[in-house]
Amino acid sequence: MASVQLRLRGVSKSLNGRARQPLEQQFQSLRLTTPIVDGRRCLSTEADQTERPSSITAAPEVDLRQLAKRYKIAQNARPLPVSRSYFTRTPIFNDRYLALDHLAKTYSNLPVIPAADADRVSWKTLADLRQSFGEPVKATDYVKCLTIIKRLHTIHPELKPDAVTAALQDFKRDVQAFLNVANPIPIDKFGRALGVGKRKSSTARAFVVEGDGQVLVNGKTLADYFGRIHDRESAVWALHSTNRIDKYNVWARVEGGGTTGQAEALTLAIAKALLAHEPALKPALRRAGCVTRDPRRVERKKHGRVKARKGPTWVKR
Amino acid sequence: MSAPNCLRCLVRPSAGIPSSTAPRTAAHAAARTAAPLAPLAPLAPLVPRSAPFSTTAANARPKKEAQGKDSSKGHVRAGKRLTLGKFKKDRVAEKGRPPAPGERKAYRKRITLSNDNAIAVPWLTDLSPTDLADPANIAKVLALPDEVQDQLRASEAFKPTQCWGMFRKPAVLVRKETVDVMSRMQASVAKRQTLRLALTGDKVSGKSMTLLQAMTHAFLNNWIVIHLPEAQELTTACTEYAPVPGTEPAQYMQPVYVLKLIQAIKRANEKVLAKTYTVSAHPELPQNIPANTPLLALANVAKEPDAAWPVFQALWSELTAQGANRPPILFSLDGLAHVMKVSDYRSPAFELIHAHDLALIRLFADALGGGVQFPAGGAVLAATSRSNAPRAPSMELALAQREAEQAARQKGDVSKDGSKAGVPQRDPFFRGYDDRVEAVLRSVQVLRLGGIDKLEARALMEYWAASGMLRATVDEKTVSEKWTLAGNGVLGEMERATLLTARV
Repeated sequence: MASVQLRLRGVSKSLNGRARQPLEQQFQSLRLTTPIVDGRRCLSTEADQTERPSSITAAPEVDLRQLAKRYKIAQNARPLPVSRSYFTRTPIFNDRYLALDHLAKTYSNLPVIPAADADRVSWKTLADLRQSFGEPVKATDYVKCLTIIKRLHTIHPELKPDAVTAALQDFKRDVQAFLNVANPIPIDKFGRALGVGKRKSSTARAFVVEGDGQVLVNGKTLADYFGRIHDRESAVWALHSTNRIDKYNVWARVEGGGTTGQAEALTLAIAKALLAHEPALKPALRRAGCVTRDPRRVERKKHGRVKARKGPTWVKR
Repeated sequence: MSAPNCLRCLVRPSAGIPSSTAPRTAAHAAARTAAPLAPLAPLAPLVPRSAPFSTTAANARPKKEAQGKDSSKGHVRAGKRLTLGKFKKDRVAEKGRPPAPGERKAYRKRITLSNDNAIAVPWLTDLSPTDLADPANIAKVLALPDEVQDQLRASEAFKPTQCWGMFRKPAVLVRKETVDVMSRMQASVAKRQTLRLALTGDKVSGKSMTLLQAMTHAFLNNWIVIHLPEAQELTTACTEYAPVPGTEPAQYMQPVYVLKLIQAIKRANEKVLAKTYTVSAHPELPQNIPANTPLLALANVAKEPDAAWPVFQALWSELTAQGANRPPILFSLDGLAHVMKVSDYRSPAFELIHAHDLALIRLFADALGGGVQFPAGGAVLAATSRSNAPRAPSMELALAQREAEQAARQKGDVSKDGSKAGVPQRDPFFRGYDDRVEAVLRSVQVLRLGGIDKLEARALMEYWAASGMLRATVDEKTVSEKWTLAGNGVLGEMERATLLTARV
């Protein structure tokens, strides 16, 4: 059987041939060298791996009869798995869980930082975990495991042991969205910050400089460009909601879409450029709804329908 | 004569024929007239009926129910038909009296100058004759005196689109451009010259209002004001016209309009005209006017459209008589583009008449072009319009040229014989230019009106707030917000953003 080492009760260490391995090494036989092999468990129970080259090789067969000739006691020997979770349904997960548990106990005295200050990491979701381990992990176990993970993650980064870092690695998602940091918007030598905003099919670029509240959109004043008062208000909403309307001048180019889309694209553009000047305004702007891009677009038309959802007129025949 | 009761069916003749029995009763009646002795028809069972009349109008209306049902039913073979809104049929919308012809327009065009529900502003003071030309009054709101209100109303200076009806009393904001125009007017009168100025600028930036302020200034200083409130009334072929006899090429007078204008002039300038006397006799008028008659009497001669144009000519010649004791004159017109193009009138040869061939407009164009000397000086003002303006490429070009020249002159780069750097030129590939228009506008001054500055905006908003029309604290934040929303302080847009956007 794979990953089973023969250990003889009462036989000395030398009999077993090797010194006691550290846990990691013991797990080596259970570990997949490439952690996720497209969700497929590729442990083989075959001793000879000639036909199929696999990363996992089974331990050589132990011939107890031969052994018993030399050591009588060997006739009572029985194989024991290295991993305690060998007989569970989810050995990969359980091994990691146990290891994490052990680490959490071992390093429980290390100082922790507030969770908010720790690096933001996107951990694998339950579905991801099941997919990558190829095991039917239980949700409750996942939650418990995640609690430990988060506890370990808050250990002070300068004191965090490498073992912890390595153990957590398996639970991180492959794509870390939090590592994507937007490039900071520079303020050029003229004091301008360029923000770009989009809404529906409009795109706006707004140059924001310190000034006294003048706004030019495509070379026209706000009143010239937007006939509706509502649109004008939307366009300068970022400045208005933060009481900065008389502190900055805006020079903007907008293209695409209709008036509403253009006005709301400007909201976003001005908000971003304003954030370059005053990053501390971010919470205020978020409350005013100026930070998040509205991802909605025109819904596509479907066949058999007049528009996206409108059904054709009912006709009797 | 019929008996009070129909003897056969016992129905009183005053009662209508019940619909269910109608055919039979009709046959009855025929039978009754033809053969009085026909045998008795079987009597229809008499159902209890309601009274044949009612004091309620709705009930007294004859019921069309039965007929409607019949018609909707159609022929028996037609089958069942879809009847839509069968419950709505019975209900007849009670319509009141429809508005009389012209009533709707009168309602739309009415001018309300005061609002008793608005709060009176305690610190509001009336304009005095020198106020509008005083730079100390910049960014102040001042009220129009009652007398001037009447005069302005007589000369149709107020427009229905302006927000007079929101406040207790008409008041105007004195802005930098106001003081600029008024001081130019004063300066030209002091030198006995004529200021010729065209006001231009963005939509709702206050061109007509500046014109109104100029007229106010003129009225307060005892000028004579002749105002053509809507140039389009003269050129869109909506008023009568006739050739002026003895003119070659023909000019056209607009007698009805001119009569109205004379009456407006008379009402607006009554006091001044009464104190101004003719210098020469006018025997050609329907009523003989000897010399040394008040001009008011001369204006009074125009009672019918027939005599209107000769009277106006006489009045004009008296007003511009050189060497006589005359008050300064303000001649103003709103909607310049309409008079700077070919009009919609046709000559007897069915050719379009140029607006400058209409006698009254020619008078104005002459004055604007510098062809008329007012004896005591004065001003000829013209305001362009941006919302109601036909394309007048020559006018636009000429105004742009004058503006560029002024800017160059102000900057101080005096280029000899106009090397015209930066002055816009005619587009060589465009044919729509008009030499007559450009000749008129060759030497006018141009004043471009833009947004007001924040100080003025604040004064205005404080006035609005004091009148109870703006229910917000007027602080720097509100002022700059509205100022920005109004496209950098365009006055009409500020009104739209603040007063005309209901946020309750």
